[in-house]
Amino acid sequence: MQKNLAKPNPRILHGETKKMIQTFIQKFTQEKIEYTKIGSKYFLATKSLIQIKDKIKITPLLVGLYLGEEKEGKFAPSLALLEIIAKTSTNKVFIKDIGEMDFIYGKKLRSRHILKIEGETKVGFLKLIQNEHDENLGLGKISKEIKEGGTIIKNKMDRGDFLRREMD
Amino acid sequence: MNPFIERYSQLGWDYTETKMRESLWVNTSKIRVEELKARLEKKRIILKKIPFLEKGFLVESKRFSLSSTQEYLQGFFHMQEAASQLPVQALQPKGLVLDMCAAPGGKTAQIALQAEAVVALESQQKRMQALLNNLERLGIKNCIAYNIDARKFEGVEFDKILLDAPCSGNCAKDRRWFSKQTISNFEKNSKIQKELLSTAYDLLKEGGEILYSTCSLEPEENELVVDWAIKNLGLKTMKLDSYGSEGLTQIFNKKLSEEIKLCKRIWPSQTQGFFMAKLKK
Ligand SMILES: C[S@@+](CC[C@H](N)C(=O)[O-])C[C@H]1O[C@@H](n2cnc3c(N)ncnc32)[C@H](O)[C@@H]1O
Repeated sequence: MQKNLAKPNPRILHGETKKMIQTFIQKFTQEKIEYTKIGSKYFLATKSLIQIKDKIKITPLLVGLYLGEEKEGKFAPSLALLEIIAKTSTNKVFIKDIGEMDFIYGKKLRSRHILKIEGETKVGFLKLIQNEHDENLGLGKISKEIKEGGTIIKNKMDRGDFLRREMD
Repeated sequence: MNPFIERYSQLGWDYTETKMRESLWVNTSKIRVEELKARLEKKRIILKKIPFLEKGFLVESKRFSLSSTQEYLQGFFHMQEAASQLPVQALQPKGLVLDMCAAPGGKTAQIALQAEAVVALESQQKRMQALLNNLERLGIKNCIAYNIDARKFEGVEFDKILLDAPCSGNCAKDRRWFSKQTISNFEKNSKIQKELLSTAYDLLKEGGEILYSTCSLEPEENELVVDWAIKNLGLKTMKLDSYGSEGLTQIFNKKLSEEIKLCKRIWPSQTQGFFMAKLKK
């Protein structure tokens, strides 16, 4: 069950302090993802990549694919992690082309944007947001049940972040 | 007369104003070329294959910025000027590769898509974020990245090294270039470039290869650096099957080793200015 989802930073999600990444992944898929942790950051890295890293004395900023990090006791997934888990997840919302850009610009999704919902539809649940090609656009949270109409999915994070980071 | 243009003329190039054209390479680990082209065409973005590049395309027409498209955000392509795409193609990455001057990471990603693994170094902390963002967007899984001055790096030996060195840039890239540059700048860059090449030599396996590149047109940062590397490090220049003309062996009144002809010099016309040398240990 989801509880108390973070308010101030949309990229931070609650989880258990110990295995935050696993707790997060399990909300979406049974897939096991082998990760390695450096400081507060999680990475997807092969054994041979870790062997190379171990020969170098200084600490890297990246080893393999960045999966997310712990911030103030919470887990902030990366967009790359969402993309990976979306491949095997059945906890998704598919949206129409017309909603794609709205979502990428950080906006909420309304019923007219939505094509199909897989899995749980209760208020408070996190959903992977997919376009018509089943490509991940980000993460949303159901904020109103579908049958009530109006705004139903809040934007928690989206791939437009890549563009926003370039502008910083 | 502009002293730089005068120098170019002595080196054999009649200056002509060139505009940079928008280009990209397709991330074929995520999408097929034909599929990307078709998706972009629906958005009235037309791509045209660049004959001298394996995965490079020219943006022939567009209605809005490519980096705001879903296809860009999905990491299906990377915006990179055509000549800048050449070094990795010429390096033919394999095994463990070092990218000594990596940010913003276009070439790091190109290497990663071909090599077993790539170690990427970047000395400027504020440029690191762009590198990390691009690698995440493009879905690169086999890169280790460090924020360090490459001249201080140690620990492993590499099969191949890309040294896309910091340089003065060129007039096709920056319209105010002529008013910003001085010959003493080229000399300063040259000193760092030689130091970086010397580190590259130390980090390279016996028989390994270095691809040295700059987007400068100045011989102090190009042929003269390579000539120094041949004479002081014992590196050998290798043949480069690539777009571009021969490296220069007569620099003003100085004669350089004949092997420098194997390097590639690109005067701005279809692309920006560029220089490449492939060196073997
Ligand atoms: C020509 S740019 C590299 C472009 C990059 N290869 C690409 O294709 O995206 C040179 C880079 O080298 C970095 N740099 C300069 N001196 C360096 C040094 N001593 N060690 C590592 N990086 C350095 C600069 O900050 C700059 O980001």
